[in-house]
Parts: sequence; C-alpha cells; structure tokens
Amino acid sequence: MSALIDVQDVTRVFHVGGEEVRALRGVSFGITRGEWVAIIGQSGSGKSTLMNVLGCLDTPSSGRYMLNGKDVSRMSDDDLAIVRNEEIGFIFQTFQLLPRETALANVELPLVYRGMKAKERRERARAALSKVHLEHRMHHRPNELSGGQRQRVAIARALVAEPSMLLADEPTGNLDSATGEEIVRLFEELHRGGNTLVLVTHEPKLAARCPRAIRLTDGQIVADGPGREVALGDGHGVVTKAVGGA
Amino acid sequence: MNKAARVDVLEGARIAFFSLGANRMRTVLTTVGIGIGVATLLAIVGIIQGLNSSFEKQLASIGSNTLYVSKFPWVMKGDWWMYRNRKNFTLPQVEQIRAQSTYVSAISPIVGRSADVAFGGEQLSAVDITGATHEYLSIAGYEVPNGRFLTEADDTVTRPVAVLGASVAEGLFPGLDPVGRTIRIDGRPFQVVGTLSRKGKLLDQDQDLAVLVPFKTFYSTFGKSRGFSLALSINRPEDLRQAEDQLVGILRRVRGTPPGAPDDFSINRPEMLAQTYEQLTGALYGVAVGVGLITMLVGGIGIMNIMLVSVRERTREIGIRRALGARKRTIVLQFLMEASAVSAVGGLLGTLVGLGTAKVVSLITPLAADVQLFTIFGGVGFAAVVGLLFGIWPAARAAHQDPREALRYE
Repeated sequence: MSALIDVQDVTRVFHVGGEEVRALRGVSFGITRGEWVAIIGQSGSGKSTLMNVLGCLDTPSSGRYMLNGKDVSRMSDDDLAIVRNEEIGFIFQTFQLLPRETALANVELPLVYRGMKAKERRERARAALSKVHLEHRMHHRPNELSGGQRQRVAIARALVAEPSMLLADEPTGNLDSATGEEIVRLFEELHRGGNTLVLVTHEPKLAARCPRAIRLTDGQIVADGPGREVALGDGHGVVTKAVGGA
Repeated sequence: MNKAARVDVLEGARIAFFSLGANRMRTVLTTVGIGIGVATLLAIVGIIQGLNSSFEKQLASIGSNTLYVSKFPWVMKGDWWMYRNRKNFTLPQVEQIRAQSTYVSAISPIVGRSADVAFGGEQLSAVDITGATHEYLSIAGYEVPNGRFLTEADDTVTRPVAVLGASVAEGLFPGLDPVGRTIRIDGRPFQVVGTLSRKGKLLDQDQDLAVLVPFKTFYSTFGKSRGFSLALSINRPEDLRQAEDQLVGILRRVRGTPPGAPDDFSINRPEMLAQTYEQLTGALYGVAVGVGLITMLVGGIGIMNIMLVSVRERTREIGIRRALGARKRTIVLQFLMEASAVSAVGGLLGTLVGLGTAKVVSLITPLAADVQLFTIFGGVGFAAVVGLLFGIWPAARAAHQDPREALRYE
C-alpha cells in the first residue's frame, strides 16, 4: 500500500537576522490513507513548521515531500494553492472563519476556489454541515455561534472539498474541556468514516486518543508509535523511528 | 474564459461588492474624493462642449462654401495700419473674378455700416445695414419667407428698397406685415420689399438685427468714401482650397500686386473663426483638465490609502483564503476590483454632480452646457481606471503576504 504522505529527510532552515534556525533537521515518516496521527512536541520543537510543510503552506529547505503521489516540495506558489485546495482540509486552533460570512458561505469557500457552480456548492456545503450536526445554524454568522459550533463549521469547511487529509492544528486549544471532548468525538467519528487525520498538538491527553503519534523534539522525530505510549509513557522507551506505513 | 479565471473574476467581484457594503461609511468617504475629481472634470468639459457645439451651430449659419475677401483679416496679426493702407477693391475687379474663376458660383460686393432704423413711433439703433447685390442671397444662405430679395434691377436703378432681418421686422412691425411699408434709415425713406428668416446669433451678435439694401443704393445714400469687401460662394465645399488658391492668383493679377510682395488682401473663411476659437477654448480645456486630473490624483491617493487599510484589516481573511486555495492573482484581482468599484461608484456620483453643476450653470448663465453620453461613460470609466491604478500596490501587498504570517495576524 502506497503512502498518502511520504516525507523523506525533510529539513527547514530559517534565516532570522543573520542567524540560522534549523526548525526541522531531517524528518522522515509516512502516513497511509485512513490513519489518524498526532504530531506532538513542546513549543519550539518544530511541530508548527512541520504542520506548515504538510499543509503546503511552506516548502522544505531540503528533502522530499510526496503528497498523494505528487512531489510538492518544489512546487510554485500557485500550484501549492491548488494542492491545498484539493488535498488538504485545514482545521485551526482559532477556527479562522470569515467573520462577515454565514456558516454556509464559510463552508462553501474551498469549493469557490475549485470553480464549482453555486448550486452544487450550496448542496455540498449543506451536506458537510449536517455531518457535523450544524444544519440548523448554517445561516448564522460566526459571532452568533459558540466556540464548539465555530470549530464544527471549520471542520465542515475542511470536509466539504473531500480532501486527502484533514490537518488540525490544536483544534481543541481554544475550547473548554467539554466542548473539546465533543470535537474529539467528532474526529473519532470522521476517523471511523475513513478520513485521514493529522493532528498537531502539545497536549499529551489528546495525542493519547490517537492510534498513532509522532513526537518531535528539536526538529527531529524522537518517537513514533501508538498514541498512548508515545504521548503518556516516558516515551523514549518505545521509540520506533519508523518510516513508512503503520 | 477558463475555470480558474472565471473563479478569480466572479469571486473577486463578489467579495469586492460585499466589502463595499460592509464598510458603507468608509466607502462613501472614499468615493467623495474621486467623485469631486470627476465632477470637476465633467462640469468643465460639459460647459466647454456646450460652448463648442453652440459655436459650431452658429458657424454653420455662415456656410462652409463661403469666402469673404477683404482688406482686413478676421483674425488680425500685427499692425492694423498695414491693413488699413491696402488698396480698396473696385467693381471691375469683381467682374474680373467672376469671369476668371472656375470655382466661384456667386459673388457680391458687400459694404456695411450701422444706423438707426425707424418706422412710425418705433426705432431701432445700431442696426447693421448691408449693401449687397441680388447674388448675396445664395452666398449668405438667406431665406425670404415673405416678399422678395433684392434684384439686379434694384441695383442698376439704385432703388431705395430694403429687405429686413427677422429682429428688425419684429422690432418695428409687431403684428404687422412690413412688406410695402416705408422705413427710415438714418432718416432716409426705404420701401420694404421682403423679410428674412431668422439666422440666430454669431458670437453673441444678433445676425438678424440687419437690413439689406441694394449695393449702389447704399453708396448713393451713405456716401462713397468707404471701401467694400467681396462675398463669394463656390460650387462645391470640397473645392474650397483650390478655389482659394485660384482666387489669390486672380486677385494679385487684377490688383497688380508686384511679384514677391505679400498679398494686399485677406481671404477669410468661417473656419478661421473656429480655429481662433478652438485655440482659445483649447487653452481653457487644458487648464481645466489639468485641475481635474490633479483632483483625480488626490482622489486616487485616497483610494490607495483606504485600500492599504483594508488590506491590513483583512490580513487574516487573506490568509484564510490563501490556505483554502486562493491563488495570488485571485487575491490581487479581489482588491483591484474593490478599488475600482469604489472609484467607479465615486465616478458615478461625480458624474451626476458634474452634470447637475453644468446644467445649473447653463440655466443661470448664458453658457450652454452640453454633456455628451460619451463623457458620462468616460467619467465613470476613468474613475474606475484611476481606482485600478492606485489599487495595484495595495493589491500586490495583499497577495504577497505569507499565508502563514497572515493566519497568525491579530
């Protein structure tokens, strides 16, 4: 089975005021279709950089990143935009909804950039909102929705274009624990439905719920294995610096 | 249009108008700047166009196949005395021109002065009295709805007859038929034989406050000391140039102008007035357009300023759109459309104000405003282009933001 995500020896170096910051120092791993993987690490571990690379918001300084059979590590800005639109559904900590648009219009947005006709767009957006149990709120603006509801709108937006993977960045970070739990349940539901999920977090408890977790420290993978063990165990004991499918 | 381009345009337009509606106050204030520019431009252009078109109508009343030969040019350059000292024309010269020119269809000597004209208790002063022959009818393009024009016989036997311009006929004979009645020109009796239809004003001068009398009668009545000019019409207006060249040759010969000496006469064409006039209004036009352009520049800078604010305010929105698949050019287009939409709205408002101003000016002053449809579209279009130009930089800034940074912007 070929990997949906195949990351080979990826580095990312930033130049900040004449100084070289090596955010990723040779990272390699693979994720297959249908997996639910958490990427954990302290702040400064390089997990945000990795998320940006995985989300095609950034390109590696060296190494290769294959996404769904396409080498995206050397793509142009415009081509990356198309890849983001077709392959990736983003879920952000701060939801990142357009404040002046309704829930429905927010969910439609990825389809707009795909060039879909308005009628089909609306139907698909409606269906996506019903998947996250929000059909009854679709004509509301984000400021009329609770935090949990906003995040569900964002999830619907990530789902609507049927991307290869959902990429969530601290999705429960701005929610109280009950609402966070609600969202995690939704992820479990989506995972059972066959979606590929990549979740970036610093919360061990959240990562522990994922079947697989990858721990980053100082820009390198230090552990890769079952979520519970990588997240909650002393971690380093179970290091399986695995490459390729689970 | 391919799919991506269609998305860019449709979505760009939708967002642009959405954003205009969302920031109504700001939109209004921004449009005012550009609106003032367009209004200024349009009002001035409208008034000048009005002047031009009324002048063109007036010129058409003189005729485009008419030449006037005189000692004095209509548009004088240099010393009046130089012209004053030229030799007068003579009647044999008139006959020689008639015999030799192959282009001239009619020729009449004309002489004029101003005089008081009276009938009964009514009197008109400063009436333009012209002495001319019967041929002047076709040269000047007169129409005689009532009675008859001067005849050849009137001239040969120096009859004291007169044909009245419309203003004179109406002024002296309100409600009466003037034909057959006797008027007094500077106290001398003339019998009215006909009246002319109205010609209108030329450069604010009433062409209808005029009386025509036979050429020879004019001289026998008002004295022989003054010189006369020649009015001629040519067969076809398109031959005007050749006719003029030929005329110069004939005139130099019959007047005995030495070779190498400058012409001692001036050939005047109605379009010479038009040229002078255009030079005059052209300068005015230039200044006005300059003022308008500066106003537009100020308005454009206003647009740029507001677009920069708008881009900054919507940094996060741009980040979101980029993350979800918007390409740079989609973002550029979005902001360009927004900028030109604001400007076009301003342009439209400015157009309305400008037109209104021009209309009001034409109502309360003698200036006739005439705004052509093309000016209106021009005003709106020009404003949109200004918006587009001044939107380029903010739009480029918007599109070139790093989406990662933009998403994190607070």
